[in-house]
Amino acid sequence: MNRRDFRKKDSTSAVIASMPTIWVRTGSAASKEVALDKRAFEDLAGIAMRTAKQMGASYADLRVARYQNQSINSREDRIESVAESTDSGFGVRVLWEGTWGFASSSRVYRDQIRDATKAAIQMARANRKLRLKPVEVETLPTHDDEWVMPMKTDPFKISLDQKTAKLLAINDAAMKAGASFCSSMMAFVREEKFFASSFGSVIHQVRVRSFPEFKVTVVDKATGLFDSRRSLAAPRGSGYEYIEGYDFLGEVNTAVDEAKQKQKAKSVEPGKKDLVIHPTNLWLTIHESIGHPTELDRALGFEANFAGTSFVTPDKLGKLKYGSHFINIIGERTQRDGLATVAYDDDGVQTKGNEFHIIKDGVFTNYQMSLGQAQYIGGKRSNGCAYADSWDTYPLQRMPNISLQPGERKVSIEELCSDIRDGIYILGDGSWSIDQQRYNFQFTGQVFYEIKAGKIGQMLRDVAYQGNTVDFWNACDGLCGKDEYHLGGAFNCGKGQPQQVAPVSHGAVPARFRQINVLNTRKQS
Amino acid sequence: MILSSSQSKKILDQVRAASKADSWVATVTGTERRHLRFALNSVTTSGEQDDVGLAVTSHFGKRSGTATTNELDDKSIAATVRKSEEIARLAPENSEFMPPLGPQKYVAGKGFNDDTAKAAPEKLASLSEPALKEARAKKVIAAGFFQSGADSSALATSNGLLVHDQTTNWLFTVTARSQDGTGSGWAGKNSHDLHKLDTATLGRRAAEKGMHSVKPTALDPGKYTTILEPSAVCDLVGWMIGDLDARSADEGRSFLSKPGGGNKLGSKLVSERVNIHSDPEHPVVPGAIYSTDGLPARRRQWIKDGVIEQLIYSRFWAKKQNREPVPYPTNVVMEGGKTSIDDMIRDTKRGVLVTRLWYIREVDPQTLLLTGLTRDGTFLIENGKITRPIKNFRFNESPVTMLNNVIAMSPSERATGSEIEGWPVSVPALLVKDFTFSSISDAV
Repeated sequence: MNRRDFRKKDSTSAVIASMPTIWVRTGSAASKEVALDKRAFEDLAGIAMRTAKQMGASYADLRVARYQNQSINSREDRIESVAESTDSGFGVRVLWEGTWGFASSSRVYRDQIRDATKAAIQMARANRKLRLKPVEVETLPTHDDEWVMPMKTDPFKISLDQKTAKLLAINDAAMKAGASFCSSMMAFVREEKFFASSFGSVIHQVRVRSFPEFKVTVVDKATGLFDSRRSLAAPRGSGYEYIEGYDFLGEVNTAVDEAKQKQKAKSVEPGKKDLVIHPTNLWLTIHESIGHPTELDRALGFEANFAGTSFVTPDKLGKLKYGSHFINIIGERTQRDGLATVAYDDDGVQTKGNEFHIIKDGVFTNYQMSLGQAQYIGGKRSNGCAYADSWDTYPLQRMPNISLQPGERKVSIEELCSDIRDGIYILGDGSWSIDQQRYNFQFTGQVFYEIKAGKIGQMLRDVAYQGNTVDFWNACDGLCGKDEYHLGGAFNCGKGQPQQVAPVSHGAVPARFRQINVLNTRKQS
Repeated sequence: MILSSSQSKKILDQVRAASKADSWVATVTGTERRHLRFALNSVTTSGEQDDVGLAVTSHFGKRSGTATTNELDDKSIAATVRKSEEIARLAPENSEFMPPLGPQKYVAGKGFNDDTAKAAPEKLASLSEPALKEARAKKVIAAGFFQSGADSSALATSNGLLVHDQTTNWLFTVTARSQDGTGSGWAGKNSHDLHKLDTATLGRRAAEKGMHSVKPTALDPGKYTTILEPSAVCDLVGWMIGDLDARSADEGRSFLSKPGGGNKLGSKLVSERVNIHSDPEHPVVPGAIYSTDGLPARRRQWIKDGVIEQLIYSRFWAKKQNREPVPYPTNVVMEGGKTSIDDMIRDTKRGVLVTRLWYIREVDPQTLLLTGLTRDGTFLIENGKITRPIKNFRFNESPVTMLNNVIAMSPSERATGSEIEGWPVSVPALLVKDFTFSSISDAV
């Protein structure tokens, strides 16, 4: 989107108008303040770039960011807390003699930018003796642009009354339907970033994300048995229109009914079963078993100490049969409502035009990359997957939206189940865990239904499915069509040290997997 | 930026002067941290963080609102107070509202070390070097993380409470993988005191484990006598201690709920050999001096001879149950025994040695069943000796079950886990029977 488009969008979106201002001190802390706009930012960026260049850096970038958060928590008939926060500052990154340095500060002053740039160089200088091979980065195309996420309703402009009333109505409906407890919450984030690099890019972007959730619990005090059901609504890179358009009251009644059914449900018989997995569960399986293993920094060993490495080593590029021939997985940061959607990544790479297949017709075809990584697999440049979760964190390679593409023809969930003799239909994400190279995973869910003789039947409980990534995706033999597409996601995917959280969405359609190992979580422990 | 007691008080006094609320609670925090990362035996990225924060919760009657900022100039402080009041006026009444605390008595903080707070990039680089040299000399591939820094926090209320605390923390972890990618070892430590850091030893331990764990072979899943090193115990015990909330138990939705109502306070939960307490003045794992709402952290016995002695009571729930409020502990100490890990190995006929755990998640809150995986050094023990490296396992086990199956404990030591990194935790290595491994992972 160019600047003219940005202005056009401005009339339909209130994002910029309601954005709190980043104040910049033009000299020392006590001197004149100016509101940060693109021109004022260019002045700050000039200080960072000049200082870095004078001190011999081969590359530098500056990010000034401001975050606004709102969270409202409720349980039963009361609002437990309402909190709003603002958080702003800057981070400067330098590449000096092939060694990275980074420094940051919450004090967005001209002097502080200069000092932090020097501190980043000092850090690179201190670390130079521990560096084996000089870091090299590719030259990126430059951009001078502004972008604001399109949305209908700015959640920060919706009154507190409206939001608390919605949450209390959800809780009230749950209690009337027979829940023992109900908690609900809404969380909103507005992220504004200014970016400049020594390549010459100057970029200003604003985006918003919204996260509504409830959880009902039913307790049988006599037996001590309790069961919960969480809402299936995903966090999204959307305005408040997403929350307004979602039928929470309808879902909460279903949720209470399902939590009650769980209490009396049959405990699953463990063994190999066919699974039909709804996107409200499958998004997380995609995240863990396809998203993380195809991060190039992991595959190369850069995250070995914490997040881990990957079974998807570079020699498997273009060769590994990751899944069945109709499995297509696309990484992109342009999908509407996607939590990773943005016009430019935190290295300044344009995302439009950088959509890419991670798995094409079942074969592993590409990694997610950030600045400096493409050379390791013979590529020319990053595909736009850098993200720093704060002004005080170093940009890492993080997931774009990674989604399973729908099947070519229209298939209903009932059709997917129709030839299953003994299976389970799974909805909603529950517990999740996967090893550090992303082979072995175990997931639970929110609701499980038995599939017998091709029909979805009674509810089951105590279900977990366990598998090996490549076996699992090759055991997929059926997908629904685009009518069943659902966008799931997470606000807080963790990676790196110090750990950073990233928002990311995953779209999927219901999919069928043959002969997957099912555990009974009560009996097999 | 670390804020001294007087700097914090000055900011909190500004809140006091600006407030028009019936009552309020304000917290001012400061952070200064530096870190260094390495991978493939070379330094990769590094960084410096410098931040401050002010959170103001204003109350009008039973209505509350919280506003937070990291801008501490006069104008921003006043704006944050106003914002919290604006939210409070709009918020519905909270029937569980508790008025802010008045003055409390605190122990003196023992968790601050000047050298840890001030460690410069040059210091981080020079201290990391021995670990990298160990890895290069032993021809393994090291990746690691070293962070050192300080935090300050102060809390004040409209009822006259004022408390200031500052703590330091460093964390050094290193993973050493074999050149062929079939073996991996790990070592890590944390403390408030930088003088306790020995990176050469940590680097050597990780490298040796990495070399000894090459070409692992599969062992059938099942229940095994297992030695869990302190990092693994830190994650599992820490998880359980974080789940000791009385209200959830009383409401019937915790592993501490009793069928028919009530909680398991005073009941025997785990082996009588298990004793767990917290103590902010502990010399090895000093904790913060205050906890939730400004309640003082003090020595508390959570589990005594296997019996649940104490649960966490929020101020509201304590009042409702006519009990003393008990905040979350700011550190955890599981008392140890006298059996070294070498002796545990010698005493094991057939068992598994676990270096650390990974990706732990709750599977069933009713039993506190957790799942996760072993990682970076898993070995088979036969007839008192480590005989071979084995492939990693997924486990499905409750810490309650594990602590009922304790055979022996090593002396307690400061440990860091993969899920629990920041808390000061001291735990022993454990020798337990029948630890449940449910499947094999090919991950290295």
